[in-house]
Amino acid sequence: MESAHLTARTDGQAVTIERVADGSWHAVEDDQVVGRGDLSGRPDGRMFVSVDAWHCAVFDRLAGAMLAELPRPLHTLVGEDDLDLISHWERAGFTARRREWECLVPTDPALTGLGPALPPPGVTIGPAEEDPLRVLDRVIRDEVEAAVGWREMPAEVLPRPAAPDLSRYTVAAEAGEYVGYVRLAAVTRQPRIGLVAVRSGHRRRGIGRALLARVLDDLHRRGIEAASAEVNESNTAAMALFEAIGARRTGSNLELVLEGSEHHG
Amino acid sequence: MARSAGGIEVEGTVTECLRNATFRVELENGHKVLAHISGKIRKNYIKILPFDRVLVELSPYDLNRGRILYRYRN
Repeated sequence: MESAHLTARTDGQAVTIERVADGSWHAVEDDQVVGRGDLSGRPDGRMFVSVDAWHCAVFDRLAGAMLAELPRPLHTLVGEDDLDLISHWERAGFTARRREWECLVPTDPALTGLGPALPPPGVTIGPAEEDPLRVLDRVIRDEVEAAVGWREMPAEVLPRPAAPDLSRYTVAAEAGEYVGYVRLAAVTRQPRIGLVAVRSGHRRRGIGRALLARVLDDLHRRGIEAASAEVNESNTAAMALFEAIGARRTGSNLELVLEGSEHHG
Repeated sequence: MARSAGGIEVEGTVTECLRNATFRVELENGHKVLAHISGKIRKNYIKILPFDRVLVELSPYDLNRGRILYRYRN
């Protein structure tokens, strides 16, 4: 552990910043942790930081210590209505890179209008099997990376698991191969739609709509009234799809980024 | 040197979602606090809803304020 990088004073007390583990910092005052910093990487290579502190001065000290040690670029995610947190990060040099809408998607077919949303002829919707799911996942990942890139996707890019949780996937199949899927994050009282994806040569045929119809109807039958989803602001097609089935915007997140060379202050 | 704990950590139930990523949480002893979500929860897209059971770290400076560290699966 590294310690005593720098000190600050809040309410007259000295605060010490310590790196307590790889990717973890503490601000300590009177032997008490009064702030925490965290660094975590995503499979697409982006490094995300977060700082939790009770005082602005502690936030600034923690962020300063972390940024002095970390390579650029660095990212963080903040709620757009959390003005205090945004101003903290802006003071540290971060700027807004993109916005993502938080949406609440109803599951009731009477609200989504998806009741009769059948897949196009020759396409079936159903549960996933592991081997063809892995093939589709690889194709989808490559297609996204070759187009907008995962950096423009709101949700974290999941690492390829040793054994994917098949229960979270609903797939569309045509002519013996998978052409699209919906992945749900952990199903809680309000599950989150992690990804809706259709292979590039199969789009604009209603496959995504049919996939959503199946997934949302299943949730509705289990007594779940709504699911959440995040949509990148620039992804107008996805936003149009969600709004067409009754989704409403409930908030927004900003991804902030710190570019440039390393700071050694 | 390792520090075992930060502030006081207590379990509670979210009773209200407020603006600015703030929630009202009723602790097990009946005390109510205003709590922000932690950066880790934000980074991991974990949604906090009314009636969620959560783990809250109380501010050492103001026991009426806290930070939601963890959401339990209901």
